[in-house]
Amino acid sequence: MLWSSDFPQIADTTLRQLSRTIDRGYLTFSREYGASIEAFFDPLLHFLIWFERILLGAPWWSVVLVTAAIGYLAAKSWKLFAGIAIALCLIGVFGMWENTMRTMAMILVCTLMSILIGIPIGIFMARSNRGQRTILPVLDVMQTMPSFVYLIPVVMLLGIGRVPGLIAVVIYAIAPVIRLTNLGIRLVEKEALEAADAFGASRLQKLIKVQLPLALPNIMAGINQTIMMALAMVVIASMIGVRGLGQPVLQAVTNQYFALGLFNGTAVVILAIIFDRVTQGFGLRLQKHREGAPQ
Amino acid sequence: MTLFKKSSLAAITVAISAIGTGVAHAECGNVTIAEMNWASAQAAARVDAFILKHGYGCNAETVPGDTMPTATSMSEKASPDIAPELWMNNVTEPIERAVTQNRLVIAGDVLEDPGTNAGEGWWVPRYMVEKNPELTTIAGIKKNVGLFKDPEDPSKGRVVGCPSGWACQITTQNLFKAYDMESAGFNLVDPGSGAALAGAIFKAYNRGEGVLAYYWAPTALLSKLDMVRVEMGAHNAKEFADCTGIANCPNPKPNSFPVSEIKTVVAADFAQKNPEAMAYLKARVWQASDFGAVLEFMEEEQANGQVAAEWFLQNRPDAWSKWVPADVAAKVKAAL
Repeated sequence: MLWSSDFPQIADTTLRQLSRTIDRGYLTFSREYGASIEAFFDPLLHFLIWFERILLGAPWWSVVLVTAAIGYLAAKSWKLFAGIAIALCLIGVFGMWENTMRTMAMILVCTLMSILIGIPIGIFMARSNRGQRTILPVLDVMQTMPSFVYLIPVVMLLGIGRVPGLIAVVIYAIAPVIRLTNLGIRLVEKEALEAADAFGASRLQKLIKVQLPLALPNIMAGINQTIMMALAMVVIASMIGVRGLGQPVLQAVTNQYFALGLFNGTAVVILAIIFDRVTQGFGLRLQKHREGAPQ
Repeated sequence: MTLFKKSSLAAITVAISAIGTGVAHAECGNVTIAEMNWASAQAAARVDAFILKHGYGCNAETVPGDTMPTATSMSEKASPDIAPELWMNNVTEPIERAVTQNRLVIAGDVLEDPGTNAGEGWWVPRYMVEKNPELTTIAGIKKNVGLFKDPEDPSKGRVVGCPSGWACQITTQNLFKAYDMESAGFNLVDPGSGAALAGAIFKAYNRGEGVLAYYWAPTALLSKLDMVRVEMGAHNAKEFADCTGIANCPNPKPNSFPVSEIKTVVAADFAQKNPEAMAYLKARVWQASDFGAVLEFMEEEQANGQVAAEWFLQNRPDAWSKWVPADVAAKVKAAL
């Protein structure tokens, strides 16, 4: 075999040896530490279950009213209030209430986790150029690595169910929050920071009172994108046993049940539109003050 | 004169019989063997191809196949000649029809004792059964909910069922209902995909945890892990057709999964013309342990059917030399 015609690759046996060593190492690792890692995620699991039980246990009309009211508060629009109420009722009429609530609970917790982890990382990136240089490629990997590549190792470590699902969703969906927090803070005008300096503001005061408020529209856009990406992961998450709208979609896909897939897919879209309008409405209102500001 | 006649007759008989055997070998000539798209069938097809080629002098060749299209093509067009591993449950009717019309011949089982070694079921790890022998029955399992704790609902037990959309999801749901597992405190959990189902079983086994899950044999997973099939009583075919296998059957009764019939099926034309090859196919019944070893080898080495077949022929001569006469075995050995 000529090296110029065939790529000089590692011998098959060496390659197999290598992958077997990695596999065995991972198995040993999961046997040693799996139980304690699982215990570490236990509080999160309890929180997920608790939240889902609240949504499932509450009377349906109260969930409809509260969600619609949040929509109204976010956008100050009765149209949105009515739209959300009607959409949720339609979901219920078509018999997808329970699955929709499960998915909603999952997405809300995933978004919360993404915000809690993502915003501090974004702030750190905005403050350190070296931090930005190291974290950006990691974010690229997280967004492009095919999910099943890390899903199965996660299943080997934590089993099937909500926690591995949550990890998969957060890995995929956290990037926009981090990116846009970083961007938003970096885009804050120098003059505003100079003014804050002139008033003798400390670093923490500058961050909380100047940078974050001015970056908020960008951060909201990031959160909005994170929610959308989390919803896009619903079907993938159902492939490792997360209950919700993804399961009937999966069933429809494998059996070519066109209508079943369409109904449940539409429910995911409705959830996406609700989340989108609420966060966007909130983001727009945050920018209201800018309209009146003298240029 | 009479003497001459006798001897000439004898000579003619000898000549004819010589032609006969010659014809048999010549006609063996081209053999096409269906190689299905799953691991065990690929290895089985390649082993048959190797033995028929080097042991019986056939010009054996494998062609890609899948259960339904291969069965149809064999019965309608007598091609391919051999399907070494045909799962009959999905194609029982057309195959039986083709057999009665003398278009197909069933050579025999692929696996020895298919009732034990093949098919679907609910499985528990051997280490659990050793501690508590009751766990081999549904009744015993229902008494020990605590051993199968559902991490997402710790007050209950968990049956890891069949992934969404697979046919086995329906049977598993109906059996779960029929055995009234819910009132015994069990949840039926949908793993979502074949990979997650295997991952969940492997994870539990790797850590010595309790697990009760749907799976099927022969597979690399079940030959690697020592699992025991839960006894579900006799299989009631009528109930299975009318209810257990039907989605949302209102009142399923206790039943069990059907025994998976995995047969070697041969086109009638080839079977008639090649008695020697047929004798081989009839004798070629795999031991579960050999079959499992091949599957494990394929997974571990990420090997294809050809590599696995050669590995098996080289490393387990005791297993396959029982399938063939000594002279054929010698020829196969020489070719390795």
